[in-house]
Amino acid sequence: MKLNWMRKQQLTGYLFIAPNMVGVSLFIIIPALFSFFLAFTNWEFPLLKADFVGLSNFKRLIQDEVFYTSLKNTLIFLGSVPVSVGLGFLTALILNKSVYFKNALRTMFFLPYITTGVAIAFVWMLIFQPENGPINSILRSLGIDHPPGWLSSTSSAIFVFDIIWVWFLLGYNVIIYLAALQEVSSELLEASRIDGARKLHTIRFVIWPLVSPTTLFLLMTGFIVSIKQMGIFQAITDGGPGNSTTVLSLFIYKTAFRYYDMGYASAISVFLLLIIIAITAIQWIAQKKWVHYS
Amino acid sequence: MKKTGIVLALVLIAVSVLSACSSNGKESGGQAESSAEASKDVVNLTFWGGVPPEAGPQEIVDNWNKENPDIQVTYVRYVNDDSGNLKLDTALIAGQNVDIFANYTKPLLTKRVSSGAALDLSQFTDYNIDDKMGPSAKEWAVDGKYYAMPTKRNMHFVWMNKDALDEAGLPVPTDWTLADVEKYAKALQTDTRWGYTTFPFWRDIVPFDGSLAVQGYVKEDGTSNLGAPIVEKALQAHYDMMHTSKVSPPISLIETTKMNVIAEFLGNKLALLNAGEWMFRDANNLTDYPRDFKVAFAPLPRITQEQDDFRYLGGLGDAIAINAKSEYKEEAWAFLKWYADGGMLPQASGGRIPASKDADQDKAVELLLGDLEDKYDVESLKRILNNDLPTFQVTLPQEVIDLRREEFDKYYIKAQSLEDTINNVAKRHNDYLKRK
Repeated sequence: MKLNWMRKQQLTGYLFIAPNMVGVSLFIIIPALFSFFLAFTNWEFPLLKADFVGLSNFKRLIQDEVFYTSLKNTLIFLGSVPVSVGLGFLTALILNKSVYFKNALRTMFFLPYITTGVAIAFVWMLIFQPENGPINSILRSLGIDHPPGWLSSTSSAIFVFDIIWVWFLLGYNVIIYLAALQEVSSELLEASRIDGARKLHTIRFVIWPLVSPTTLFLLMTGFIVSIKQMGIFQAITDGGPGNSTTVLSLFIYKTAFRYYDMGYASAISVFLLLIIIAITAIQWIAQKKWVHYS
Repeated sequence: MKKTGIVLALVLIAVSVLSACSSNGKESGGQAESSAEASKDVVNLTFWGGVPPEAGPQEIVDNWNKENPDIQVTYVRYVNDDSGNLKLDTALIAGQNVDIFANYTKPLLTKRVSSGAALDLSQFTDYNIDDKMGPSAKEWAVDGKYYAMPTKRNMHFVWMNKDALDEAGLPVPTDWTLADVEKYAKALQTDTRWGYTTFPFWRDIVPFDGSLAVQGYVKEDGTSNLGAPIVEKALQAHYDMMHTSKVSPPISLIETTKMNVIAEFLGNKLALLNAGEWMFRDANNLTDYPRDFKVAFAPLPRITQEQDDFRYLGGLGDAIAINAKSEYKEEAWAFLKWYADGGMLPQASGGRIPASKDADQDKAVELLLGDLEDKYDVESLKRILNNDLPTFQVTLPQEVIDLRREEFDKYYIKAQSLEDTINNVAKRHNDYLKRK
């Protein structure tokens, strides 16, 4: 066997990444493929046998009311991502301008992102408590007699999660945007100021396009992270009241680990994967329109 | 330099692969060893249960280990919720060390029987479960055979604040309906104290399953019976208690504050609580839940006066099974017999009364009350412990329980009408039945 120098280098490279690849294959890729295959069976854990049922899980999915409710709730929840990204951009702009206590403010904004989900869950539950919580108390003192039921009402519960999630992602978005704003060349800003552009124009036509790669990154990763969220829903409402805060990931969890219906849960997971791919693909294609790479 | 690069990489791979395999290798190697040298060596059993070790199980296991130096038992606690049961099921399937395990609901046991994890106990002929545990034991049989031994009496009853009762001049009821409950609750309610509520986990099961236990959840034609007239009456009664007479805290309050109803009752902020024997664990804990009022007990309320087929949630619980793949079935069976006939008594202070007729029932009640006898109305307690009211077990699958709860909750929070609730529950249950 004659190994030349180049081949040896390649081999070394492969050997170094092998441990990680073994791990990723064993724990991520193979289970994902197995799950895809499970979607065509009717396996119920912990039984030892299952049958092929072709597309019947997907047929059941299409007729399942709870599935459509979960899908709707997931889409409403995902609406919090662009809101948070937008607010993050504005906050970063302000923070970028030598505000007093800049470091302290930056830390404060970032703290939610590193706090554990359960702690966040309980604090927000208390804040939104309909009878005694601070938000409704303030609303009542302002004269609103029937403030929303927040988490106890089927129509408003999912929006509470939107609010919590905007708050949660804000810190991360701000940090990333602050880094991006550092890259904006001050010469460009000076040039536009000399040309007589007003503040708002500068932001809209100079700064915003220049940070658009960051915006794309934050939107794409934001959607992917948000669509996988389950813990926060389980901790606060466990999908209730009724099904109004059941999102797709929670629906999959309950089907798989509470009802032990693995075949159906895998089918929903496949669907979730398709949604993520669709959202990502749309953004990827649309980026040609609005993302400017320098 | 290149050589050290390759060697280093190979070492890394070797280490990572070995560390992944070694933990499994050690276990299976160890087991093979101990079974090879069977008789002289110490047998190690693992007992999985849901009760926290300090609430009795550790003492139980220590007692056994002292008397049986050649069979040592270790207690492993799994939390009796979704993830805990998943942990147990995974351990059973993966062949992890589980010799004896407790099953807390019949559906869970049935699943474990289907997957071959539970041993058929009929191979042991020296202990007659029906004879020892009574007629309710049959509810735990799967396909007519016992795969687990039920060991404790499930008791569900209403906890009452006796001092408040005396103040209002009301007697302790021995048979009552929801209408009576409302009357009592109105009399006992104050500005700082709610009248009545049910422990959330059993909220739908106690009144609704109790009413349908005899009629059945499925009609003869195969469609759902979850919309039966008695269900409508019960729903209405609970709704009224929350929103009309306002003696019950509304569901929205309980859910959004994660209200600990046990703490509310023991803290004199709730006069009547529909719960069960597990509350003794906290009721006897005067350090965390100090109280100065006496507690009396009443049976579960029926829905209407004319209802003659109401069943009281009860029967037997804590069905202990032996792993069919265990290497020490005889030893596990010896432990199980000892446990059922009295070994489990240390758990009595938390409310777990043994079901076996050979267990010392008086000792159990003694341990239950501890030195707090004056804090309980012993007369009503004895009535509850010794009654022969007809009982039933939970047999509805989790999915049906969940879908019913979702629809009922929507009604309780006024998000849909009573009629829609009944129709939706029946429809969703029918969809479920068509699939099965």
